[in-house]
Amino acid sequence: MLDYGLLAPTMFGGLILFLLFGFPVAFSLAALGLAFGFVAIEVGYFGLAFLQALPARVFGIMSNDLLLAIPFFTFMGVVLEKSGLAEDLMEGFGQLFGSVPGGLAYAVIYVGAILGAITGTVAASVIAIGMISIPIMLKYGYDMRIGTGVIAASGTITQVIPPSLVLIVLAFQLGVPVGDMYWGAIGPSIAQILLFTAFIMVVSILSPRKVPALPPEARTLRGAALAKKLAWGMVPSLVLIFLVLGTIFMGLATPTEAGAMGSVGSVLLALSHGRFSWRMVWDASDQTMRITAMVIFILVGATVFSLVFQGVNGGKWIEHMLSHIPGGRIGFLIFVNVFIFFIAFFLDFFEIVFIVVPLLIPTALALDIDLVWLGVLLCVNMQTAFMHPPFGFALFYLRGIAPPEVKSRDIYLGSIPWIGLQLILVALIIIFPEIVDGFISEDVVLDDAAVSQQLDALPLPGLEPPALDLDLSPSPAPAGD
Amino acid sequence: MQGLLTLASGIDRISRFFGIIAAVLVAVACSISAGNALSRYALDLSSNAFLEIQWQMFAATFLLGAPYVLKLNEHVRVDLVYGSLGPRGKLKVDIIGYLVFFFPVCFIMLEMAFPWAWASMRAGEISANAGGLPVWPAKLLLPFGFVLLTLQGLAEFIRRVAALRGDIALDVHYEKPVQ
Amino acid sequence: AQTAPKVSWRLTSGFPKALDTIYGAAEDFAKYVGEMTDGNFQIQPFPAGEIVPMPEAADSVGAGTVEMTHTASYYYWGKDPTYALGTAVPFGLNVRGLNAWNYDGGGIDMMNAFYAKQNLIGFPGGNTGCQMGGWWRKEINSLADLQGVKMRIGGMGGKVMEALGVVPQQIPGGEIYPSLERGTIDAAEWVGPYDDEKLGLNKVAPYYYYPGFWEGGAMLHFMINLGKWNELPASYQAIVKAGCAYANATMLAKYDYRNPAALRSLIAGGAQLKPYPEDVMTKALEEANKLYASLSEQNADFKTIWESQTAYRNEANLWNQVAEYTFDTFMIRNRPRG
Ligand code: NA
Ligand code: NA
Repeated sequence: MLDYGLLAPTMFGGLILFLLFGFPVAFSLAALGLAFGFVAIEVGYFGLAFLQALPARVFGIMSNDLLLAIPFFTFMGVVLEKSGLAEDLMEGFGQLFGSVPGGLAYAVIYVGAILGAITGTVAASVIAIGMISIPIMLKYGYDMRIGTGVIAASGTITQVIPPSLVLIVLAFQLGVPVGDMYWGAIGPSIAQILLFTAFIMVVSILSPRKVPALPPEARTLRGAALAKKLAWGMVPSLVLIFLVLGTIFMGLATPTEAGAMGSVGSVLLALSHGRFSWRMVWDASDQTMRITAMVIFILVGATVFSLVFQGVNGGKWIEHMLSHIPGGRIGFLIFVNVFIFFIAFFLDFFEIVFIVVPLLIPTALALDIDLVWLGVLLCVNMQTAFMHPPFGFALFYLRGIAPPEVKSRDIYLGSIPWIGLQLILVALIIIFPEIVDGFISEDVVLDDAAVSQQLDALPLPGLEPPALDLDLSPSPAPAGD
Repeated sequence: MQGLLTLASGIDRISRFFGIIAAVLVAVACSISAGNALSRYALDLSSNAFLEIQWQMFAATFLLGAPYVLKLNEHVRVDLVYGSLGPRGKLKVDIIGYLVFFFPVCFIMLEMAFPWAWASMRAGEISANAGGLPVWPAKLLLPFGFVLLTLQGLAEFIRRVAALRGDIALDVHYEKPVQ
Repeated sequence: AQTAPKVSWRLTSGFPKALDTIYGAAEDFAKYVGEMTDGNFQIQPFPAGEIVPMPEAADSVGAGTVEMTHTASYYYWGKDPTYALGTAVPFGLNVRGLNAWNYDGGGIDMMNAFYAKQNLIGFPGGNTGCQMGGWWRKEINSLADLQGVKMRIGGMGGKVMEALGVVPQQIPGGEIYPSLERGTIDAAEWVGPYDDEKLGLNKVAPYYYYPGFWEGGAMLHFMINLGKWNELPASYQAIVKAGCAYANATMLAKYDYRNPAALRSLIAGGAQLKPYPEDVMTKALEEANKLYASLSEQNADFKTIWESQTAYRNEANLWNQVAEYTFDTFMIRNRPRG
């Protein structure tokens, strides 16, 4: 059974039914995988032994050290929230943009960008931003459709701003240097932040009540007093930014370890502000554990699903669909982007990168499409994979941390305009490739003569071989295979 | 029924116990990670053991913590339909879900994970990295975590059946973590 | 019995598609086995992780989860150090030596006596040739320069480097580039010019050291579940062996043909070639020998195979010194004259 049959497409239909049933996502995904697994065993795709891959795959999640970013950044977010430091930070921004409707939303976008420059993991980013901003948005009467939308979208910025797990994996799959991908992603991330800002601006003009300015009684400070409050509010965040960004820059910490620096740093900050208590450290650990277990179990469920999807030759099914790409550069780009947009309803970005991207490379090369540019374009498109209602993982994470007064409906509907913004960005990158290319500096490349000069100057090893010292003991007898 | 409900609350206590361990490991892993980075930078002193203990603790955090999260009803759901059901509807979804989704998944995972972890333990599997840690204890965590999870699932199932029969009142309101 | 039954197998590669030379060996193998059996014996390769993650591939084949894998056996040396001898150990045999020892020196049978205990049978399936010694942010002029240096190097190479004063740090693969860029680690090793070029590490760590003495010739293996192997008709078994030998030859050919061009292009992009200093190599050899002595004491399988390899290694080097080395050095010296 090496051809795909009906099972792979049916799995996607089943996904909708199983998830809508309302049992926890983690176990529904796994159960769906198993259900199709048993059908596949009946039909003869594989035997029961194939499911022995399950513990091996879950172990792959257990030992994936990049996922440590999730507890690290979550812990930091919870400590900031519990100690009241997050409120200081957001209040600082709130006071700064106090008279401006949408001030908090702008703050979320920029905090998302800063966090994005630290971590490469959407779960870590969405959870950390959500932890610190949802309470204050509720307090000031934000429309939570806008509120959750801006949080989820800002949490996915991390995918495009280096360092980013997606860019690294994409670069590897495309066979292009990670450094080029990083530089190529700078323009689109700036464009994205501008687009998000512009959207909030439009909302604040058309319906200011959805993104209210701080009420006058909350805006008590002006002039020097405001500057002082702001400065005090900013100090902790500046210290944290140094601890996480600065330690990466100094070469002290890897991006994952920077999350741990931030966690420890947030506790020390609380200590220096007189807000430390062991109770707070315990609460933060307990809550981080709960969020981490919830998030990682979704990945565990998803890995059951994708094992069976591979087993029923889902990869071949996708290959089949991609073998009918219409001709021409524009036709290819439109088809690929539409295809990935829809496949992202069901597959997470890792699966897309591993299954789909290698299939695109030959055609892209034939059409003379720059692979770095294509990679950045796909990366922006795949951000939407996290935002598709009701199955986007960023929405699951947000649902997992939002208090009950935030309706799931708001989370689902709130994500839609941001998906639209993503698509606008995809179109912009196709129309203006300079957004990507403009930041990639031309490498200094030596000419052939200079290369040959270095090669000719190589030391010649061991020109004078040691004197022959023939050992006359018998050599091992040859033995045939 | 009363005996089963007593069993369920006993299981709750086991899950809470391992939940506490899982939570403590979060703080410990953060400290080790930051400490390792500092020591490597300042003293050129580190070992792969310090890197590997971090993911082993992370694995313990989510495997030992998941049963407690199940007890708290904090595993996220797509609640488009579920959210609009009444209390009895929610109980029925859960009872079916535990029977048809949850227990089969746990059963298969345990069936597959036990021989897998056992083989690793018998081989005394260690890390392939210089100065790394034994790998087999981490592999044993997987079936162990799923045993705990299955037990907690049993407790949840018992309580929901009891609630549907009217033996106990159960708050099935789908709550998020306390903020 | 039917001589040409329909058989379909899955092959889980230990490598991603992006390592096209290595992954390609599995694809070539599958293609040739299919063609040699008129399509009756079909093998579908899957990149690492699509069915099982790389570190679990050998166990999964032994357990029958998938029928076979294409992998580097030294990945599994944490389960048993004997696995390392199938691929490469520091200062082990080079490509020529490994081929000779495997095909004519009884190596295949010796390895299979060990693999059989893991319910596996294996055949050589490709070689990278001697690898490079990694990318460094600073120059290494003597053994003293290695003290406290942070290097990403796994396996037995890492153990030997550790004995030389290096701090091995197996940070996640995705974080090599940013960590090397900022100096969180000082060095990282990968494969050779053709694969290294894709990582672009020359931009963040310009000194490109050689040789990768921990992998003087890294041999890949096709490993097959023993039960599934025994079920095959003799003709299919012969075809599988032939397919493995074909992949073994062509993978090395690809690396040998592509590495020189990649090396030039890396130098054009700023890489600076540096040989490891003599005292580093000598001390490393000494430490490696200590490691093998202690492993031989603890593990009988390791001892048997390692002794067989070393006995031949000295003979191979001697023979190499007489004709091949003299010819090679003459030609190398005369290379600039075209
Ligand atoms: Na990022
Ligand atoms: Na290597």
